[in-house]
Amino acid sequence: MKRIWPWAVRCGCYAAGLWIVSGAAGVVGFVAWRGLPHLNAQLLFGDVSARDALFGGVPVFDGLWPAVLGTVALVTGAVALAAPLGLATGIYLAEFSRGRLKEVLTVFFDVLAGIPSVVVGLFGFSVSLLLHKLVSPRLGPCLLVAAFSLMILVLPYVIRATQSALEEVPQEVRLTALSLGADRVQNLVWVLLPHSLQGIASGLLLAVGRCAEDTAVILLTGVVVTAGVPRSVLDPFEALPFYIYYISTQYGSTEELERGFAAALILLGVSVSLFALAYAVRRAVGSWALYRA
Amino acid sequence: MDPVVKIRVEGLTFRYGARTVLREVSALFLEGALAAIVGPSGRGKSTFLMALNRLWEEVPGAHAQGRVWVRLDGRERLVSDPSFPATELRRRVAMVFQAPNPLRMSIFNNVAFPLKVMGQRNKRLVAQEVEGALRRAFLWDEVKDRLDEDARRLSGGQQQRLCIARALAAQPDVLLLDEPTSSLDARAAGVIEDLLLTLKRRCTLVVVSHYLEQVERLADQVYEVAHETLEILS
Repeated sequence: MKRIWPWAVRCGCYAAGLWIVSGAAGVVGFVAWRGLPHLNAQLLFGDVSARDALFGGVPVFDGLWPAVLGTVALVTGAVALAAPLGLATGIYLAEFSRGRLKEVLTVFFDVLAGIPSVVVGLFGFSVSLLLHKLVSPRLGPCLLVAAFSLMILVLPYVIRATQSALEEVPQEVRLTALSLGADRVQNLVWVLLPHSLQGIASGLLLAVGRCAEDTAVILLTGVVVTAGVPRSVLDPFEALPFYIYYISTQYGSTEELERGFAAALILLGVSVSLFALAYAVRRAVGSWALYRA
Repeated sequence: MDPVVKIRVEGLTFRYGARTVLREVSALFLEGALAAIVGPSGRGKSTFLMALNRLWEEVPGAHAQGRVWVRLDGRERLVSDPSFPATELRRRVAMVFQAPNPLRMSIFNNVAFPLKVMGQRNKRLVAQEVEGALRRAFLWDEVKDRLDEDARRLSGGQQQRLCIARALAAQPDVLLLDEPTSSLDARAAGVIEDLLLTLKRRCTLVVVSHYLEQVERLADQVYEVAHETLEILS
Protein backbone atom coordinates (compact mmCIF):
# COMPACT_ATOMS: atom_id res chain seq x y z
CA MET A 1 0.00 0.00 0.00
CA LYS A 2 2.88 2.32 0.81
CA ARG A 3 4.43 1.80 -2.58
CA ILE A 4 1.38 2.93 -4.45
CA TRP A 5 1.68 6.54 -3.26
CA PRO A 6 4.91 7.60 -5.01
CA TRP A 7 3.54 6.00 -8.14
CA ALA A 8 0.20 7.78 -7.83
CA VAL A 9 1.85 11.15 -7.20
CA ARG A 10 4.03 10.69 -10.25
CA CYS A 11 1.08 9.78 -12.44
CA GLY A 12 -0.84 12.75 -11.09
CA CYS A 13 2.02 15.11 -11.94
CA TYR A 14 2.37 13.70 -15.43
CA ALA A 15 -1.37 13.99 -15.98
CA ALA A 16 -1.40 17.61 -14.82
CA GLY A 17 1.54 18.45 -17.09
CA LEU A 18 -0.09 16.70 -20.02
CA TRP A 19 -3.37 18.49 -19.32
CA ILE A 20 -1.66 21.93 -19.41
CA VAL A 21 0.38 21.19 -22.52
CA SER A 22 -2.56 19.72 -24.40
CA GLY A 23 -4.78 22.62 -23.32
CA ALA A 24 -2.30 25.17 -24.69
CA ALA A 25 -1.68 23.10 -27.81
CA GLY A 26 -5.43 22.74 -28.28
CA VAL A 27 -6.06 26.49 -28.14
CA VAL A 28 -3.16 27.36 -30.44
CA GLY A 29 -4.03 24.49 -32.76
CA PHE A 30 -7.67 25.50 -33.00
CA VAL A 31 -6.81 29.13 -33.75
CA ALA A 32 -4.27 28.02 -36.33
CA TRP A 33 -6.74 25.60 -37.92
CA ARG A 34 -9.43 28.26 -38.28
CA GLY A 35 -7.12 31.16 -39.03
CA LEU A 36 -4.36 29.77 -41.23
CA PRO A 37 -6.42 29.42 -44.42
CA HIS A 38 -7.28 33.13 -44.23
CA LEU A 39 -3.83 34.35 -43.40
CA ASN A 40 -2.54 36.18 -46.44
CA ALA A 41 -1.19 39.51 -47.60
CA GLN A 42 -4.67 40.75 -48.38
CA LEU A 43 -5.73 40.30 -44.77
CA LEU A 44 -2.83 42.46 -43.66
CA PHE A 45 -2.74 45.08 -46.37
CA GLY A 46 -6.17 44.99 -48.05
CA ASP A 47 -6.03 46.10 -51.66
CA VAL A 48 -2.66 47.80 -51.30
CA SER A 49 0.41 45.79 -52.24
CA ALA A 50 2.70 44.82 -49.37
CA ARG A 51 5.60 46.81 -50.82
CA ASP A 52 3.59 49.99 -51.16
CA ALA A 53 2.22 49.63 -47.63
CA LEU A 54 5.58 48.88 -46.02
CA PHE A 55 7.88 51.22 -47.92
CA GLY A 56 5.69 53.44 -50.12
CA GLY A 57 3.69 55.04 -47.32
CA VAL A 58 0.40 54.12 -49.00
CA PRO A 59 -2.33 54.04 -46.32
CA VAL A 60 -4.04 50.72 -45.62
CA PHE A 61 -7.79 50.89 -44.89
CA ASP A 62 -9.26 47.40 -44.90
CA GLY A 63 -6.26 45.42 -43.65
CA LEU A 64 -4.84 44.54 -40.25
CA TRP A 65 -1.44 46.14 -40.77
CA PRO A 66 -2.31 49.34 -38.84
CA ALA A 67 -3.59 47.19 -35.96
CA VAL A 68 -0.33 45.20 -35.90
CA LEU A 69 1.69 48.40 -35.75
CA GLY A 70 -0.71 49.85 -33.19
CA THR A 71 -0.26 46.84 -30.90
CA VAL A 72 3.52 46.89 -31.28
CA ALA A 73 3.63 50.64 -30.54
CA LEU A 74 1.31 50.21 -27.56
CA VAL A 75 3.31 47.34 -26.03
CA THR A 76 6.63 49.08 -26.62
CA GLY A 77 5.34 52.32 -25.12
CA ALA A 78 3.75 50.72 -22.08
CA VAL A 79 6.76 48.52 -21.29
CA ALA A 80 9.18 51.40 -21.89
CA LEU A 81 7.22 53.42 -19.33
CA ALA A 82 6.81 50.56 -16.86
CA ALA A 83 10.36 49.16 -16.97
CA PRO A 84 12.34 52.05 -15.45
CA LEU A 85 9.68 52.88 -12.87
CA GLY A 86 9.10 49.23 -11.95
CA LEU A 87 12.83 48.47 -11.73
CA ALA A 88 13.49 51.47 -9.53
CA THR A 89 10.58 50.63 -7.22
CA GLY A 90 11.56 46.96 -7.04
CA ILE A 91 15.15 47.91 -6.18
CA TYR A 92 13.93 50.31 -3.52
CA LEU A 93 11.68 47.67 -1.94
CA ALA A 94 14.32 44.93 -1.98
CA GLU A 95 17.42 46.89 -1.04
CA PHE A 96 16.56 50.06 0.80
CA SER A 97 13.13 50.01 2.39
CA ARG A 98 12.82 48.38 5.80
CA GLY A 99 10.24 47.58 8.43
CA ARG A 100 6.73 48.99 8.45
CA LEU A 101 6.96 51.11 5.31
CA LYS A 102 8.09 48.08 3.32
CA GLU A 103 5.13 46.01 4.54
CA VAL A 104 2.66 48.76 3.69
CA LEU A 105 4.11 49.29 0.20
CA THR A 106 4.19 45.56 -0.51
CA VAL A 107 0.51 45.23 0.37
CA PHE A 108 -0.22 48.32 -1.70
CA PHE A 109 1.40 46.85 -4.83
CA ASP A 110 -0.39 43.54 -4.28
CA VAL A 111 -3.66 45.45 -4.23
CA LEU A 112 -2.63 47.29 -7.38
CA ALA A 113 -1.94 43.94 -9.06
CA GLY A 114 -5.46 42.84 -8.20
CA ILE A 115 -7.29 45.81 -9.70
CA PRO A 116 -9.48 44.70 -12.63
CA SER A 117 -8.21 46.06 -15.92
CA VAL A 118 -11.50 47.73 -16.74
CA VAL A 119 -11.09 49.89 -13.62
CA VAL A 120 -7.62 50.87 -14.78
CA GLY A 121 -9.22 51.66 -18.14
CA LEU A 122 -11.79 53.92 -16.47
CA PHE A 123 -8.98 55.69 -14.68
CA GLY A 124 -7.18 56.22 -18.00
CA PHE A 125 -10.41 57.49 -19.52
CA SER A 126 -10.75 60.03 -16.69
CA VAL A 127 -7.16 61.11 -17.26
CA SER A 128 -7.86 61.72 -20.93
CA LEU A 129 -11.00 63.72 -20.05
CA LEU A 130 -8.93 65.76 -17.63
CA LEU A 131 -6.30 66.44 -20.28
CA HIS A 132 -9.08 67.40 -22.68
CA LYS A 133 -10.49 69.92 -20.23
CA LEU A 134 -7.35 71.31 -18.68
CA VAL A 135 -4.64 71.14 -21.32
CA SER A 136 -6.11 71.25 -24.79
CA PRO A 137 -9.49 70.40 -26.35
CA ARG A 138 -7.61 68.55 -29.08
CA LEU A 139 -6.40 65.96 -26.54
CA GLY A 140 -8.50 62.90 -25.78
CA PRO A 141 -8.17 59.14 -25.65
CA CYS A 142 -4.97 58.33 -27.54
CA LEU A 143 -1.97 56.02 -27.78
CA LEU A 144 -0.11 57.84 -25.01
CA VAL A 145 -2.98 57.64 -22.52
CA ALA A 146 -3.51 53.96 -23.39
CA ALA A 147 0.19 53.17 -22.92
CA PHE A 148 0.16 55.10 -19.63
CA SER A 149 -2.88 53.15 -18.38
CA LEU A 150 -1.35 49.83 -19.43
CA MET A 151 1.78 50.86 -17.55
CA ILE A 152 -0.29 51.10 -14.37
CA LEU A 153 -1.73 47.69 -15.13
CA VAL A 154 1.66 45.95 -15.54
CA LEU A 155 3.73 47.96 -13.05
CA PRO A 156 3.03 45.52 -10.18
CA TYR A 157 4.41 42.59 -12.23
CA VAL A 158 7.66 44.41 -12.93
CA ILE A 159 8.00 45.62 -9.33
CA ARG A 160 7.31 42.23 -7.83
CA ALA A 161 9.59 40.39 -10.26
CA THR A 162 12.46 42.80 -9.59
CA GLN A 163 11.96 42.71 -5.83
CA SER A 164 11.80 38.94 -5.53
CA ALA A 165 14.69 38.39 -7.96
CA LEU A 166 16.88 40.67 -5.83
CA GLU A 167 15.71 39.18 -2.56
CA GLU A 168 16.48 35.69 -3.82
CA VAL A 169 20.14 36.46 -4.45
CA PRO A 170 21.92 34.11 -2.00
CA GLN A 171 23.59 35.63 1.03
CA GLU A 172 27.07 34.42 -0.10
CA VAL A 173 26.76 36.27 -3.41
CA ARG A 174 25.37 39.33 -1.68
CA LEU A 175 28.38 39.44 0.66
CA THR A 176 31.05 38.72 -1.97
CA ALA A 177 31.48 42.19 -3.43
CA LEU A 178 30.89 43.84 -0.05
CA SER A 179 33.73 41.79 1.44
CA LEU A 180 35.98 43.18 -1.30
CA GLY A 181 35.24 46.75 -0.32
CA ALA A 182 32.34 47.53 -2.66
CA ASP A 183 29.70 49.92 -1.35
CA ARG A 184 26.01 49.08 -1.62
CA VAL A 185 25.45 50.84 -4.92
CA GLN A 186 28.46 49.16 -6.53
CA ASN A 187 27.23 45.83 -5.21
CA LEU A 188 23.78 46.48 -6.67
CA VAL A 189 24.96 47.56 -10.11
CA TRP A 190 27.82 45.10 -10.62
CA VAL A 191 26.61 42.01 -8.79
CA LEU A 192 23.01 41.96 -7.62
CA LEU A 193 21.30 43.25 -10.77
CA PRO A 194 23.30 41.06 -13.21
CA HIS A 195 22.49 38.17 -10.91
CA SER A 196 18.76 38.93 -11.00
CA LEU A 197 18.44 39.51 -14.75
CA GLN A 198 16.59 36.28 -15.32
CA GLY A 199 13.88 37.06 -12.78
CA ILE A 200 13.54 40.67 -13.89
CA ALA A 201 13.29 39.56 -17.52
CA SER A 202 10.46 37.14 -16.68
CA GLY A 203 8.58 40.03 -15.09
CA LEU A 204 9.06 42.13 -18.21
CA LEU A 205 7.94 39.22 -20.42
CA LEU A 206 4.80 38.88 -18.34
CA ALA A 207 4.23 42.61 -18.80
CA VAL A 208 4.71 42.33 -22.56
CA GLY A 209 2.16 39.53 -22.78
CA ARG A 210 -0.32 41.37 -20.59
CA CYS A 211 -0.01 44.58 -22.66
CA ALA A 212 -0.39 42.70 -25.95
CA GLU A 213 -3.59 40.92 -24.94
CA ASP A 214 -5.40 43.55 -22.91
CA THR A 215 -8.61 44.85 -24.41
CA ALA A 216 -10.52 46.43 -21.53
CA VAL A 217 -7.99 49.18 -20.87
CA ILE A 218 -7.48 50.27 -24.46
CA LEU A 219 -11.20 50.08 -25.14
CA LEU A 220 -11.63 53.04 -22.80
CA THR A 221 -8.43 54.90 -23.58
CA GLY A 222 -8.11 55.36 -27.30
CA VAL A 223 -8.50 52.27 -29.48
CA VAL A 224 -10.76 52.68 -32.53
CA VAL A 225 -11.84 50.52 -35.47
CA THR A 226 -10.16 52.62 -38.16
CA ALA A 227 -7.27 54.94 -37.52
CA GLY A 228 -4.61 53.94 -40.01
CA VAL A 229 -0.95 53.45 -39.17
CA PRO A 230 -0.12 55.29 -35.91
CA ARG A 231 1.49 58.66 -36.71
CA SER A 232 1.46 60.37 -33.32
CA VAL A 233 1.18 59.24 -29.71
CA LEU A 234 -1.61 61.79 -29.31
CA ASP A 235 -3.88 60.09 -31.87
CA PRO A 236 -6.29 57.19 -31.47
CA PHE A 237 -4.97 53.89 -32.80
CA GLU A 238 -5.92 50.40 -33.89
CA ALA A 239 -4.95 47.25 -32.00
CA LEU A 240 -5.26 43.52 -32.66
CA PRO A 241 -7.05 42.40 -29.48
CA PHE A 242 -9.67 45.07 -29.99
CA TYR A 243 -10.14 44.00 -33.62
CA ILE A 244 -10.60 40.41 -32.49
CA TYR A 245 -13.10 41.47 -29.84
CA TYR A 246 -14.93 43.73 -32.29
CA ILE A 247 -15.15 41.21 -35.12
CA SER A 248 -16.21 38.35 -32.87
CA THR A 249 -19.09 40.35 -31.42
CA GLN A 250 -20.18 42.16 -34.59
CA TYR A 251 -19.43 39.77 -37.44
CA GLY A 252 -21.92 39.73 -40.29
CA SER A 253 -20.69 36.66 -42.13
CA THR A 254 -18.68 33.51 -41.48
CA GLU A 255 -15.91 34.97 -43.57
CA GLU A 256 -15.59 37.94 -41.22
CA LEU A 257 -15.36 35.60 -38.25
CA GLU A 258 -12.59 33.66 -40.00
CA ARG A 259 -10.73 36.96 -40.36
CA GLY A 260 -11.01 37.26 -36.61
CA PHE A 261 -9.28 33.90 -36.19
CA ALA A 262 -6.57 34.98 -38.60
CA ALA A 263 -6.16 38.16 -36.55
CA ALA A 264 -5.82 36.04 -33.39
CA LEU A 265 -3.08 34.09 -35.13
CA ILE A 266 -1.29 37.32 -36.02
CA LEU A 267 -1.60 38.50 -32.40
CA LEU A 268 0.02 35.24 -31.29
CA GLY A 269 2.79 35.85 -33.82
CA VAL A 270 3.32 39.42 -32.60
CA SER A 271 3.48 38.22 -28.98
CA VAL A 272 5.97 35.49 -29.84
CA SER A 273 8.13 38.02 -31.74
CA LEU A 274 8.07 40.43 -28.79
CA PHE A 275 8.97 37.56 -26.46
CA ALA A 276 11.85 36.57 -28.75
CA LEU A 277 13.06 40.15 -28.79
CA ALA A 278 12.94 40.33 -25.00
CA TYR A 279 14.92 37.07 -24.77
CA ALA A 280 17.52 38.36 -27.22
CA VAL A 281 17.88 41.56 -25.20
CA ARG A 282 18.25 39.54 -22.03
CA ARG A 283 20.99 37.39 -23.52
CA ALA A 284 22.81 40.42 -24.86
CA VAL A 285 22.58 42.22 -21.53
CA GLY A 286 23.66 39.04 -19.74
CA SER A 287 26.86 38.60 -21.71
CA TRP A 288 27.53 42.32 -21.51
CA ALA A 289 27.28 42.12 -17.73
CA LEU A 290 29.62 39.13 -17.80
CA TYR A 291 32.35 40.29 -20.12
CA ARG A 292 32.54 44.07 -20.03
CA ALA A 293 35.82 45.35 -18.64
CA MET B 1 62.55 42.27 18.00
CA ASP B 2 59.15 41.85 19.60
CA PRO B 3 56.38 40.71 17.29
CA VAL B 4 53.96 43.50 16.33
CA VAL B 5 50.30 43.09 17.18
CA LYS B 6 48.26 43.43 13.99
CA ILE B 7 44.74 42.89 15.30
CA ARG B 8 43.54 43.40 18.86
CA VAL B 9 40.07 42.26 19.93
CA GLU B 10 38.60 43.25 23.29
CA GLY B 11 35.27 42.28 24.85
CA LEU B 12 33.64 41.23 21.61
CA THR B 13 30.10 39.97 22.09
CA PHE B 14 28.13 38.80 19.10
CA ARG B 15 24.44 37.99 18.78
CA TYR B 16 22.11 36.78 16.05
CA GLY B 17 18.72 38.01 17.16
CA ALA B 18 18.38 36.78 20.74
CA ARG B 19 21.03 34.06 20.42
CA THR B 20 24.47 34.94 21.76
CA VAL B 21 27.21 33.34 19.67
CA LEU B 22 30.32 34.92 21.18
CA ARG B 23 30.62 36.44 24.64
CA GLU B 24 33.35 38.84 25.78
CA VAL B 25 36.00 37.51 23.42
CA SER B 26 39.50 38.94 23.53
CA ALA B 27 42.35 37.99 21.23
CA LEU B 28 45.62 39.22 19.68
CA PHE B 29 46.87 38.42 16.20
CA LEU B 30 50.51 39.02 15.29
CA GLU B 31 51.75 40.68 12.12
CA GLY B 32 53.10 38.34 9.48
CA ALA B 33 51.83 35.28 11.33
CA LEU B 34 49.22 32.70 10.46
CA ALA B 35 46.65 32.33 13.20
CA ALA B 36 44.22 29.44 13.14
CA ILE B 37 40.82 29.33 14.77
CA VAL B 38 39.56 25.83 15.43
CA GLY B 39 36.48 24.37 17.02
CA PRO B 40 33.25 22.57 16.21
CA SER B 41 30.93 23.84 13.47
CA GLY B 42 28.24 26.36 14.23
CA ARG B 43 30.01 27.92 17.22
CA GLY B 44 30.82 31.27 15.70
CA LYS B 45 34.19 30.83 13.99
CA SER B 46 32.97 32.42 10.76
CA THR B 47 31.08 35.01 12.74
CA PHE B 48 34.29 35.99 14.46
CA LEU B 49 35.95 36.67 11.09
CA MET B 50 33.01 38.83 10.03
CA ALA B 51 33.47 40.91 13.16
CA LEU B 52 37.02 41.76 12.07
CA ASN B 53 35.99 43.37 8.77
CA ARG B 54 32.53 44.54 9.88
CA LEU B 55 30.88 42.33 7.29
CA TRP B 56 28.33 41.33 9.96
CA GLU B 57 26.72 44.74 9.44
CA GLU B 58 25.33 43.41 6.16
CA VAL B 59 23.79 40.32 7.76
CA PRO B 60 20.20 40.85 8.90
CA GLY B 61 19.73 40.25 12.62
CA ALA B 62 23.43 40.29 13.49
CA HIS B 63 24.59 42.47 16.32
CA ALA B 64 28.11 43.03 17.66
CA GLN B 65 29.50 44.86 20.67
CA GLY B 66 33.08 45.32 21.79
CA ARG B 67 36.18 46.73 20.20
CA VAL B 68 38.52 45.65 17.45
CA TRP B 69 41.68 47.49 16.43
CA VAL B 70 43.68 46.84 13.30
CA ARG B 71 47.18 48.22 12.83
CA LEU B 72 47.29 49.97 9.44
CA ASP B 73 50.05 52.26 8.13
CA GLY B 74 51.84 52.11 11.46
CA ARG B 75 48.95 53.09 13.73
CA GLU B 76 46.14 51.22 15.42
CA ARG B 77 42.70 52.01 14.10
CA LEU B 78 39.42 51.19 15.78
CA VAL B 79 37.36 49.41 13.10
CA SER B 80 34.05 50.65 14.47
CA ASP B 81 35.21 54.28 14.30
CA PRO B 82 32.54 56.14 12.31
CA SER B 83 35.21 58.04 10.42
CA PHE B 84 36.69 54.77 9.15
CA PRO B 85 34.57 53.63 6.20
CA ALA B 86 33.71 49.92 6.13
CA THR B 87 34.58 49.85 2.41
CA GLU B 88 38.19 50.92 3.12
CA LEU B 89 38.45 48.51 6.06
CA ARG B 90 37.32 45.61 3.88
CA ARG B 91 39.90 46.43 1.24
CA ARG B 92 42.66 46.33 3.84
CA VAL B 93 41.20 43.32 5.69
CA ALA B 94 40.14 41.05 2.83
CA MET B 95 38.16 37.85 3.16
CA VAL B 96 37.94 34.47 1.42
CA PHE B 97 34.82 32.41 2.02
CA GLN B 98 34.35 28.72 2.70
CA ALA B 99 32.80 27.88 -0.66
CA PRO B 100 34.55 29.45 -3.66
CA ASN B 101 32.41 32.38 -4.74
CA PRO B 102 33.62 33.71 -8.09
CA LEU B 103 31.34 36.42 -9.39
CA ARG B 104 29.44 35.90 -12.64
CA MET B 105 32.22 37.43 -14.67
CA SER B 106 35.33 36.46 -16.59
CA ILE B 107 38.43 35.32 -14.72
CA PHE B 108 40.13 38.64 -15.40
CA ASN B 109 37.18 40.73 -14.26
CA ASN B 110 36.89 38.73 -11.06
CA VAL B 111 40.45 39.49 -10.01
CA ALA B 112 40.17 43.08 -11.26
CA PHE B 113 36.95 43.60 -9.28
CA PRO B 114 38.50 45.14 -6.11
CA LEU B 115 40.51 47.52 -8.30
CA LYS B 116 37.39 48.51 -10.19
CA VAL B 117 35.65 49.11 -6.86
CA MET B 118 38.49 51.42 -5.87
CA GLY B 119 37.98 53.36 -9.08
CA GLN B 120 41.25 52.32 -10.73
CA ARG B 121 40.84 53.09 -14.45
CA ASN B 122 44.39 52.69 -15.68
CA LYS B 123 44.05 49.54 -17.77
CA ARG B 124 47.75 48.74 -17.88
CA LEU B 125 48.06 49.02 -14.14
CA VAL B 126 44.97 46.84 -13.63
CA ALA B 127 46.38 44.18 -15.97
CA GLN B 128 49.67 44.23 -14.04
CA GLU B 129 47.96 43.92 -10.68
CA VAL B 130 45.74 41.09 -11.92
CA GLU B 131 48.74 39.17 -13.22
CA GLY B 132 50.61 39.76 -9.97
CA ALA B 133 47.69 38.60 -7.83
CA LEU B 134 47.16 35.49 -9.97
CA ARG B 135 50.88 34.66 -9.73
CA ARG B 136 50.85 35.07 -5.96
CA ALA B 137 47.86 32.71 -5.82
CA PHE B 138 49.72 30.08 -7.93
CA LEU B 139 47.07 30.34 -10.63
CA TRP B 140 48.63 32.44 -13.41
CA ASP B 141 50.09 29.57 -15.45
CA GLU B 142 46.80 27.71 -15.45
CA VAL B 143 44.61 30.60 -16.58
CA LYS B 144 46.85 33.03 -18.48
CA ASP B 145 45.44 31.86 -21.85
CA ARG B 146 41.80 31.91 -20.80
CA LEU B 147 41.39 35.12 -18.81
CA ASP B 148 38.20 36.00 -20.71
CA GLU B 149 36.42 32.78 -19.80
CA ASP B 150 33.63 32.64 -17.25
CA ALA B 151 35.32 32.12 -13.89
CA ARG B 152 32.70 29.60 -12.84
CA ARG B 153 34.08 27.12 -15.39
CA LEU B 154 37.26 26.64 -13.35
CA SER B 155 37.63 23.60 -11.09
CA GLY B 156 36.83 23.95 -7.40
CA GLY B 157 40.45 24.31 -6.34
CA GLN B 158 41.16 26.79 -9.10
CA GLN B 159 38.07 28.79 -8.14
CA GLN B 160 39.25 29.00 -4.55
CA ARG B 161 42.71 30.17 -5.66
CA LEU B 162 40.96 32.68 -7.91
CA CYS B 163 39.08 33.98 -4.89
CA ILE B 164 42.36 34.26 -2.98
CA ALA B 165 43.91 36.10 -5.95
CA ARG B 166 40.91 38.42 -5.99
CA ALA B 167 41.27 39.11 -2.29
CA LEU B 168 44.98 39.83 -2.84
CA ALA B 169 44.45 42.17 -5.79
CA ALA B 170 43.91 45.26 -3.67
CA GLN B 171 47.09 44.48 -1.63
CA PRO B 172 45.37 43.87 1.73
CA ASP B 173 47.21 43.93 5.06
CA VAL B 174 45.17 41.09 6.51
CA LEU B 175 43.59 38.09 4.84
CA LEU B 176 40.73 36.29 6.60
CA LEU B 177 40.03 32.78 5.34
CA ASP B 178 36.95 30.81 6.35
CA GLU B 179 37.74 27.09 6.00
CA PRO B 180 39.35 27.71 2.63
CA THR B 181 39.99 24.04 1.88
CA SER B 182 36.87 22.35 3.21
CA SER B 183 35.18 22.09 -0.19
CA LEU B 184 38.30 20.81 -1.97
CA ASP B 185 39.97 17.43 -2.48
CA ALA B 186 43.28 16.64 -0.77
CA ARG B 187 45.49 17.71 -3.67
CA ALA B 188 43.79 21.06 -4.23
CA ALA B 189 43.84 21.61 -0.46
CA GLY B 190 47.59 20.93 -0.44
CA VAL B 191 48.16 23.61 -3.08
CA ILE B 192 46.19 26.11 -1.02
CA GLU B 193 48.15 25.21 2.12
CA ASP B 194 51.48 25.86 0.35
CA LEU B 195 50.04 29.11 -0.90
CA LEU B 196 49.09 30.22 2.60
CA LEU B 197 52.63 29.59 3.84
CA THR B 198 54.08 31.89 1.17
CA LEU B 199 51.40 34.54 1.70
CA LYS B 200 52.32 34.81 5.36
CA ARG B 201 55.39 36.79 4.33
CA ARG B 202 53.35 39.67 2.95
CA CYS B 203 50.25 39.75 5.10
CA THR B 204 48.71 38.60 8.34
CA LEU B 205 46.48 35.55 7.96
CA VAL B 206 43.58 34.45 10.12
CA VAL B 207 42.34 31.03 9.06
CA VAL B 208 39.29 29.19 10.33
CA SER B 209 39.77 25.45 10.04
CA HIS B 210 38.56 22.28 11.58
CA TYR B 211 41.32 20.06 10.26
CA LEU B 212 43.70 19.77 13.21
CA GLU B 213 46.53 18.31 11.10
CA GLN B 214 46.28 21.25 8.75
CA VAL B 215 46.43 23.63 11.67
CA GLU B 216 49.51 21.93 13.10
CA ARG B 217 51.31 22.19 9.77
CA LEU B 218 50.48 25.82 9.16
CA ALA B 219 49.68 27.84 12.20
CA ASP B 220 51.85 30.06 14.38
CA GLN B 221 49.00 30.81 16.76
CA VAL B 222 45.97 28.63 17.49
CA TYR B 223 42.71 29.72 19.10
CA GLU B 224 39.85 27.42 19.92
CA VAL B 225 36.23 28.46 20.03
CA ALA B 226 34.56 26.94 23.06
CA HIS B 227 31.74 28.00 25.38
CA GLU B 228 31.01 31.16 23.40
CA THR B 229 34.55 32.40 23.78
CA LEU B 230 37.99 32.08 22.24
CA GLU B 231 40.71 30.23 24.15
CA ILE B 232 44.33 30.31 23.14
CA LEU B 233 45.76 26.83 22.55
CA SER B 234 49.28 27.71 21.48
